Amino acid sequence: MSKIVRLVWFDLKPQLTPPVWIVVQWVVFSIQILIYGSLISQLFSPNVTERIGEYLKFYSVGLVVMMTFEIGSHTGRHFVEHAHEGRLPYLLSLPISRSTLFLVIALQGGAELALMLTVPLAFTLVLLGNLTIISVVALVFTLFWLGFGVAGLMLGLSFIAFKSSDFYTAIVTGLSTVIIRFSTVLYPLIFLPASYAGAAMLSPLTYGSDLVRLILGFDPSILLDPRIAVAVLTALAVSTLSLGLFLIQRLVEGVKSA
Amino acid sequence: MTEIRRILTLARSDFSYFFRTKWLMAVLLSLNLSDMLVVALVYKNMMSIDYMKHFVPAVVVMGLFAASLDTGRRIWLAFREGVVQYELSLPISTNGIVIAYLLAGGLAAMVYSSSLLLIAMIVMPGAIWSAVMLLPFLFVLATGLAGISAAFAALASTRGEFFFAYQQIVQVGLLTLSTVPYPINVVQNVFPPFLTAIVSANPLSQAADAMRNFTFAGYPIEPSALLGILLSSIPFTIVGAVAYSTALHKLRVKGKL
Repeated sequence: MSKIVRLVWFDLKPQLTPPVWIVVQWVVFSIQILIYGSLISQLFSPNVTERIGEYLKFYSVGLVVMMTFEIGSHTGRHFVEHAHEGRLPYLLSLPISRSTLFLVIALQGGAELALMLTVPLAFTLVLLGNLTIISVVALVFTLFWLGFGVAGLMLGLSFIAFKSSDFYTAIVTGLSTVIIRFSTVLYPLIFLPASYAGAAMLSPLTYGSDLVRLILGFDPSILLDPRIAVAVLTALAVSTLSLGLFLIQRLVEGVKSA
Repeated sequence: MTEIRRILTLARSDFSYFFRTKWLMAVLLSLNLSDMLVVALVYKNMMSIDYMKHFVPAVVVMGLFAASLDTGRRIWLAFREGVVQYELSLPISTNGIVIAYLLAGGLAAMVYSSSLLLIAMIVMPGAIWSAVMLLPFLFVLATGLAGISAAFAALASTRGEFFFAYQQIVQVGLLTLSTVPYPINVVQNVFPPFLTAIVSANPLSQAADAMRNFTFAGYPIEPSALLGILLSSIPFTIVGAVAYSTALHKLRVKGKL
């Protein structure tokens, strides 16, 4: 256990001394909510506001889900960067099993997610006025589940990076934007044109954001069936993490450093 | 080879580097095209204004802004990887290097945003001649925005995380405090007068309003609007050039920053 903690800290320490990125995420979140969110929500027509509630609240939940996605995706990309910077061969040479190393990567991602989301999540909960223990626990669990699924997806795609790091970064960053835009993070499914709604059903963020909104008390009639959302998120997390575990067992040997 | 030709050679090298960075192209294109073709369209169905008309021209300015800011990343990379030492050894003055980077940044941003403008004109037909008339002013704006980025790269030349942190905060701050995502009357209704004045003076607001009014709404071009873009952009170009030049001068004299 101490080995795991030490390795997690080894990866986390550079980000905390000083914690520039964490503070930046909090500042950017505040600007987006207090300025962008407040102003853009003035533009929504009354019948839309009547249906989905104040857009600022809808947007703040979407922003938290987007942050979860970005941090989860960063964990996957971080693994590839380590492989190409020569850090991975060092980690592989340590007297720990591959599954322990995988656990370290997952825990490091989880710790990063927890640190970066603390303030935005607290802010959103206060804004929504939903501070029951059950809602907070369910929310944190859902976000972590989504975060692990996304990190697993990015780890699963990392085999591309072992051929071409440039190509991997291009695919992952391009894909991230498309996954966010074609989802219900920024707008409910009922307002999407039919051609976009089909694509949104393929995005894991649609299920993550709708489940989070349900937990936080949004009108269930504008959201997806929570049973389907739970099933999709679970399938995503389990399958992509299994793929990542497989890759770390078999494919990471001999990755060339940049 | 004259100094001007050397500047142009260095600028050409930096200009081509921008378009050869695959991940950057993937980010910029996916972000701007999805904003134009997905976000604007969906919001149009939800808002009390025609958001397509408001937002599609603004996405061109957003593309210009994002591409200009990449100049700072290239300058920061040159500092970090020692490319700057090579550049200082070339038969070109320090000011020549500064001019080359700002020129390349402005030009790359303009070429990139022009491609967005063409796509925007397919989505929403506009006046091509007005767009052509605006291009030189957008180029000045792009060098100004590249100047902001160059100043941050010079300030945070040894600490990468600080550079990207500054850049992200400035990017979000300048975009949210502008009329790129929302009309000025909404800003006036919510913000106090001094913040509304900042939003109006923001060069991104001026460029987005000019793009909407002159290229897409078809109003005749007003010289005062073009002058506004120049006046709000040139100070950023000067500040960026001075900051980058000072950093290069320090590096040349002391050997480190």
